[in-house]
Amino acid sequence: MITVKDLHKSYGKLEILKGVDIEIAKGEVVVVIGPSGSGKSTFLRCLNLLEAPTSGEITFEGESITGKRHNINLTREKMGMVFQQFNLFPHKTVLQNITLAPIKVKKMPQGEAEKIAMDLLRTVGLEDKKDAYPSQLSGGQKQRIAIARALAMQPHVMLFDEPTSALDPEMVGEVLEVMKKLAEGGMTMVIVTHEMGFAREVGDRIIFMDGGKIMEEGTPAEVFNNPQNPRTKDFLSKVL
Amino acid sequence: MDIFNIFWTYRSYFFTGVQYTLLLAVIGVFCGFILGMLVSLLRMSRIRVLRFIGSVWVEFLRGTPMLVQLFIIHYGLVSFGIKFSAIESGAITLTINSSAYLAEIFRAGIQGVDKGQAEAARSLGMSKAMTMRHIVLPQAVKSVLPAIGNEFITIIKESSIVSFIGVGDLMYQAGAVNTITYDYLKPLLIIAVIYFIMTFLLSKLLGLFERRLRTDDHR
Repeated sequence: MITVKDLHKSYGKLEILKGVDIEIAKGEVVVVIGPSGSGKSTFLRCLNLLEAPTSGEITFEGESITGKRHNINLTREKMGMVFQQFNLFPHKTVLQNITLAPIKVKKMPQGEAEKIAMDLLRTVGLEDKKDAYPSQLSGGQKQRIAIARALAMQPHVMLFDEPTSALDPEMVGEVLEVMKKLAEGGMTMVIVTHEMGFAREVGDRIIFMDGGKIMEEGTPAEVFNNPQNPRTKDFLSKVL
Repeated sequence: MDIFNIFWTYRSYFFTGVQYTLLLAVIGVFCGFILGMLVSLLRMSRIRVLRFIGSVWVEFLRGTPMLVQLFIIHYGLVSFGIKFSAIESGAITLTINSSAYLAEIFRAGIQGVDKGQAEAARSLGMSKAMTMRHIVLPQAVKSVLPAIGNEFITIIKESSIVSFIGVGDLMYQAGAVNTITYDYLKPLLIIAVIYFIMTFLLSKLLGLFERRLRTDDHR
């Protein structure tokens, strides 16, 4: 579904990604782990071109999205993204946050968009918050709304950029629960996270990144129980 | 005649003056608002030529006296066959002048909106223009409303220069009353008080408005 070939990203002289190759299949849940500064967030943000790659090619559903002529807006409709800082729109209600893009981008009638939004709010357990503003929500609630907002575009893949890193510990569970449900429903997901327990439980494949490269990949059992690369071993010994 | 007598006798002059002053200030800020927003978008454009035009506009209008700008528009453009009435010239000058200041205010406001907001909108497939219109601008305008209010107050005061080209604003009316009464000081004191009342009321009103905004700030 997504193919990444020799992806490089530099900011001036600073090289963040030093050649990443990966293939992600439909329905797969890929969890990216690694120390801070390893380039995992940058890698994720390159997938929907929030960061423009310096070189390399990304193909999504058989179409190169890194080509000059490609309309990235159309691709982004099919790639939902959830951010560490939630990034809900503070001047809009919960319902408006969710329905804005379907109405404006997909030209969906308001009634239909609201129906989808209400279904999603039920899924994330927040239907009673539809008229609330983001400032009235807890961090965990905000992130669940952010997930619902991304899902409202009916994406084919969901990208999660450290979705629980800005949350108080007691709110991490509710967000992971929603993500787990999503994975069980067959959604293709790429998740950057520090939640190792979650990675082991939900991930189909674990990617360990360090120094702008993929150092090791495999099933959770392989990577967590029997890491091959010394850097992986070192990292896991610190976080587990 | 004492000052109250002058005020009462020539009240219709002062009243007309207030109308012109307020009319010009409202036009200046309203049209300057729209023009200023366009200029601020120019200044942040990806295209270098547009950015340059925006910068020249802002720097030139902020770096030259408004009186000079007024005279160029009213007297100078005549040599190109462009002739405006006094009130038109006044309105145009106040508009372009306030657009330069408002453009800088908007730019600060737009750049002050968290980058994550635009990223979230773009990640949903919204175009750059859509993101600007629905996500960034509403938040930017809200955060710069107090600064826009200050610009309105400034324009009320600075609009007094249009009396130079014969627009019947407050300043002009003070001159007219002076010509009739041979009294310099009192008409000027009267309009000073009127200017002060207008700006003071406005700043109080803005303060109230600002507090309201803060209480229902949904951030």
